[in-house]
Amino acid sequence: MTKFTRLLFKNLLRSKRRTVLTILSIGVSLFIFAVLVSLPTFANQMLADTASSVRIVSRTKMGFAYPLPEAYKVKLATLPHVVAVAGLVIYGGIYHEASDQFPSVATDAEEIDMWSDWGLTGVDHFKQIKTACLVAEGTMRRFNLHVGQQIQLRGTVYPFNVTLTIVGTIAKGPVPSFLIFRRDYFEEAAGRPGIAHEFWVQVDDSRVVPEVCAAIDNQFANSSAETRSASEAAAVGSILGRYRIFMTLAECLGLVAVVAIGLVAANTAAMSIRERRGEIAVMRSLGFSSGVILSLLVGESLIIALSGGAIGCGVAFGLFKVFALNADALGPFVSLHVPPFVLAETLGVAALIGLVSAYVPARAAARRSIVETLRLVD
Amino acid sequence: MGRLADKNIPITGGNSGIGLAAAQAFASEGARVAVKLEHVTRTYRRDAFEVRALDDVSLTIPTRGFVAIMGPSGSGKTTLLNLVAGIDHATSGSVVVGAEDITTMNERALAAWRARHIGLVFQFYNLLPVLTAFENVELPLLLTHLRKPERKTHVASALQAVGLADRMDHYPRQLSGGQEQRVAIARAIVTDPTILVADEPTGDLDAKAAEDILLLLTELNRQFHTTIVMVTHDPRAERFVDTVYRLDKGVFIGSEKGGMSATPRVPLQPAE
Repeated sequence: MTKFTRLLFKNLLRSKRRTVLTILSIGVSLFIFAVLVSLPTFANQMLADTASSVRIVSRTKMGFAYPLPEAYKVKLATLPHVVAVAGLVIYGGIYHEASDQFPSVATDAEEIDMWSDWGLTGVDHFKQIKTACLVAEGTMRRFNLHVGQQIQLRGTVYPFNVTLTIVGTIAKGPVPSFLIFRRDYFEEAAGRPGIAHEFWVQVDDSRVVPEVCAAIDNQFANSSAETRSASEAAAVGSILGRYRIFMTLAECLGLVAVVAIGLVAANTAAMSIRERRGEIAVMRSLGFSSGVILSLLVGESLIIALSGGAIGCGVAFGLFKVFALNADALGPFVSLHVPPFVLAETLGVAALIGLVSAYVPARAAARRSIVETLRLVD
Repeated sequence: MGRLADKNIPITGGNSGIGLAAAQAFASEGARVAVKLEHVTRTYRRDAFEVRALDDVSLTIPTRGFVAIMGPSGSGKTTLLNLVAGIDHATSGSVVVGAEDITTMNERALAAWRARHIGLVFQFYNLLPVLTAFENVELPLLLTHLRKPERKTHVASALQAVGLADRMDHYPRQLSGGQEQRVAIARAIVTDPTILVADEPTGDLDAKAAEDILLLLTELNRQFHTTIVMVTHDPRAERFVDTVYRLDKGVFIGSEKGGMSATPRVPLQPAE
């Protein structure tokens, strides 16, 4: 086949503009496809990552805005299988400008090891210094922060500011941009309200998670602050569930984009082959078999489609890298990336577009009567 | 003088699928007859009508001959040529080229047979516009087992034989009509085919270029003993060929001797 390579590329470059435009149109469509298909894949990956978690998130049934009493922590700690309990307060806050927001939460310093799988650094200092905070690496990059730096967050929900010292970083949190500081500092600044928006409960075995969830909710049933407890995976899932319809829509749109570009590619291939039917007939008269002709034509189409696929994948991959560095407005989706599986799938779709779009016209051209074709062309 | 291979082109042997081995096999199998048509009929359907392009044609073309097939438009000349070249199928009858009855071959076998035995020259040259003269001539060699350096030698020799060794990097658009036809002839002879089939090779050329092409074909026939079957309207061609076969309304009406010495013309010999 290598001796036909030159012929293949000469034909590809026959109409450079058309080839480039076809590659670009396939590239744009497959970029859209890669992005849209990455969304549900990313969500499923997030759920899969937390599926074996031994952490439970317990909130009030009334919603985020209503806190639970701090006293629940002691009661939770006495339940079977519970090994650690950490209260968590959602502070909010603005760093510099209103546009510079990122999630900031306060938790119990002595329980920070509960999240050791998040790749925490500076944990010892966090436990020692009341104003210490740990900052996600995405936030560190975004605001060009460094360990040892002092920062101030302006309260939005709460009428006070907090001045924090960065003592460490978080490498693999649930979102790429957030901050954790100490709850005792929050309590002091807020006048000791004794609240927590969530309790994170760590159990000794992931298999007992449903059982402990039920035990927690039973314990506080009919109280003034009933709880709704769920595994970390379920908690993440409930957040993602709000986006589920968009993800389904995204998958459908991805499919539509592929079908649309498939039709465009088929039309382009048919036109290109039709223009060359005389040459194809001549090649066949020289002894080129239908199989060789078919392979050459489909090969051209494959090269175009795979080039477009590679461009689409590359742009999607690069764009998400840039997003991950510079944006936080996408919430949990800011850590979206194009997984290797989606890259492979996109290239597979590109190959399929190349094959399907050219096969029918190429097969027809390769089997058409030489004499009839030459008569038509001459 | 020998074949093209004997003169300039180092032939690699039977494995190449081209050259002396194929030619010798062809010559021994086919003895003195290059092409034999027996009761060949070819009909086409044109919408509701059936057109009989060839009607029970029987003729033979000798090995190493240079023959012209002549006749008015619609007489079936090109149809006959297409059958000899193996790019069309007879509706009935047999077409034997060398020792092979090509009417029984399937498409795949026929394509391989064309690559080995047939060199085709068209009226409108039919060069691939995206390829240089060199690459156009190299095209049939891509179907052989020849390696790149060997292909290069063959192509250079073929282009030299047609007097275009200095134009091998030119694209068809950069050549005159006569030069394009020479490239087409080089493409047709590069595999050292046993039969060169030319369909109106001078039909698109001015008088001077047409004369040159006819001379070139004569040279190829005389020096390399290539059997040449040519369809033409051009009365000048009669001077260059050994025999003229005449067709009219799809019927073979007879042959006459051509050649420089063919004046006065040998009376038409009726078909058997």
